[in-house]
Amino acid sequence: MKLYTAKTETSAENKIVVDDMILTKDIPTTAGSKMLEGYVSLFEAEVLTRLNNAGYGLCGKADVGEFSFDLLGETSCNGANIVDGKLVNAAARIVSDGDAFAAITLDVNGSTRRAAAQSGLVSIKPTYGTVSRYGTIPVACSGETVSVTAKCPMCVREVLDVIAGHDDKDGTSLPEELCAKIKKGAEAKKAEKVAIIGDFLSCVYDDVKAKVDAASEALKAAGITVDVIDSKVIESARVAWNILMCAELCNNVSRYDGVKFGYRSRNFTNLDELYVNSRTEAFGETLKTAILFGSETLSTENYMKVYDKALRTRRVIVEEFAKIFQEYDAVIIPACSSLAYTEETLKNKYIAFEENLFTAPASITGLPAVVSGSVQIIGKAFSENTLLDLAKIVKEGK
Amino acid sequence: MDRETLRKLEMLNQLSLTEAQKDEVIDFFAKRDSELDIINKIDTENTERMVHVMPVLTVVREDVASQPFSRDDLQKGAPETDEGYWCVPKVME
Repeated sequence: MKLYTAKTETSAENKIVVDDMILTKDIPTTAGSKMLEGYVSLFEAEVLTRLNNAGYGLCGKADVGEFSFDLLGETSCNGANIVDGKLVNAAARIVSDGDAFAAITLDVNGSTRRAAAQSGLVSIKPTYGTVSRYGTIPVACSGETVSVTAKCPMCVREVLDVIAGHDDKDGTSLPEELCAKIKKGAEAKKAEKVAIIGDFLSCVYDDVKAKVDAASEALKAAGITVDVIDSKVIESARVAWNILMCAELCNNVSRYDGVKFGYRSRNFTNLDELYVNSRTEAFGETLKTAILFGSETLSTENYMKVYDKALRTRRVIVEEFAKIFQEYDAVIIPACSSLAYTEETLKNKYIAFEENLFTAPASITGLPAVVSGSVQIIGKAFSENTLLDLAKIVKEGK
Repeated sequence: MDRETLRKLEMLNQLSLTEAQKDEVIDFFAKRDSELDIINKIDTENTERMVHVMPVLTVVREDVASQPFSRDDLQKGAPETDEGYWCVPKVME
C-alpha cells in the first residue's frame, strides 16, 4: 500500500495532507502520473500558503489517481491501494488513521466525495470560485474544486474558513464579498425542507440506501421536512460532465510533450517520435482513452452535436437545481453506488465514468456539496454553512 | 468510431495505441455514444451554452514585465538542456 508520495516533517499541532494534484515547493508533485515523475514545482498552491500562515503543517502528499481521473486512486502510476479486498483512497485513509487533521484534495471527478462516503468522513466541495485553484494541476477547470476532508463537520468548517477567499492569482476566483458568504459566522439559513432525488436510489446497493434512510430519519427527527422527488434532468449530468471533463482534460494535458518538463522517452529518432513515445509511455490507459474521447468531442464533426450540447445541458441542469431550491434548502443524492469497491469493481476499466453519476451534478454546476453520514448533500451556491449544519445533524443526530 | 478515425485522433494527440487498446477505446466510444441519447432527450433549443458556472470575467493585469523565475530555475525540471536551451532532436535534415 502506498498512501504517501512524499512525507514531510512538521511540528504543527494540526497536520494536513494534500493530494498530489496540489503543487508544493521543493517536494515532488506527480498528479499520480509517470509523466510528472520527480517534477518539483517552483511555487506552492495558494491553499497551502494560507494553511501554513494559519499554523497548519504539511505532513505529506497523498497518492492520487492519474490527473484525478479515477474511482478512488486506482489509476495512479503507483497502482491501486487495496486493503482487505477493498479499494482505499490514500488521502481519506490518512485522515481516517488520524495521521492528518484534514486532507486538501482537488475534486475533479468526485473521488474525494466517494472516498469520504466510504470512509465515514466529512468532506466539502465548496462553491466553485470560493477557494483558489492557483497552484493546482489543471484538468477540468470549469468544474474542479479544491475540497476539504476531515473527521467532523466542525473540522471541515475550520479548514474551509482558512482557505476560502478571493485570490488575484486565480482568474476564476470570485470577489471577496461572495467568498465571505461561506465563511464561519456568515449568515446561514436554517434548513427547513430537504429533498432526496429518488431517481438515484434505484442505482445504489442496499448499504447506501440504508445510509440515505438514516440521514432522512436524522433530519426528520431534527424537525426538517424530507421529501422524495424525481429529476431525470439532474441524472443526465454524468453524460454531460464526461464530455466537458474529457474535452478540458484533452486540452490541459497537451502541454506534456517531454520537452520542457516531465517524462521523456529514451526511444526516439526524431521530434515526432519524442512527443508520441513520451506521451504513450507515460500516460495510463484510462487517461489516454479520456484524452481521445475529449479530442473527438471537440472535432469539427462533433463540436456542435456533442460538446455544445453538453454546455447547453449544463445550463438546463443549473436551472433545474434553481427550480428545486425555490422549494427546498438542499437535496440529498448518494455519493456512490456502494460503500465498498472491490477488485471486481475495477474489472470495469471505465467505472469512473459511470460511478460519477452521483458526483457529476455538483461538479458540472459548481454547487457546493457536503458528504456526511455517507450521503451527499448539495445546496445553493454559497450555502456551505447551511450544508455543514445539515451535515452535523446527519452525522451526529443534532 | 472506426479504426481510421481513431488513427487520426491518435496522431492529433501524439499517442500510439496497441491493437488491444484500440479495441477497448472503440468500445468506450461506443458506450459513450449510446449515452448521448440521454442528453439528446433534453430540449436545449432555446438554451444558451454555459461555459462558466459563475459570473467570471476575463481578468486583466497591468502590462508590466516581470520575471518571477530565472531561466535556470525554469529548466530544473527539463529532461535535457544545454547552456540555457531546451534540447530536442534535429528537426532539419
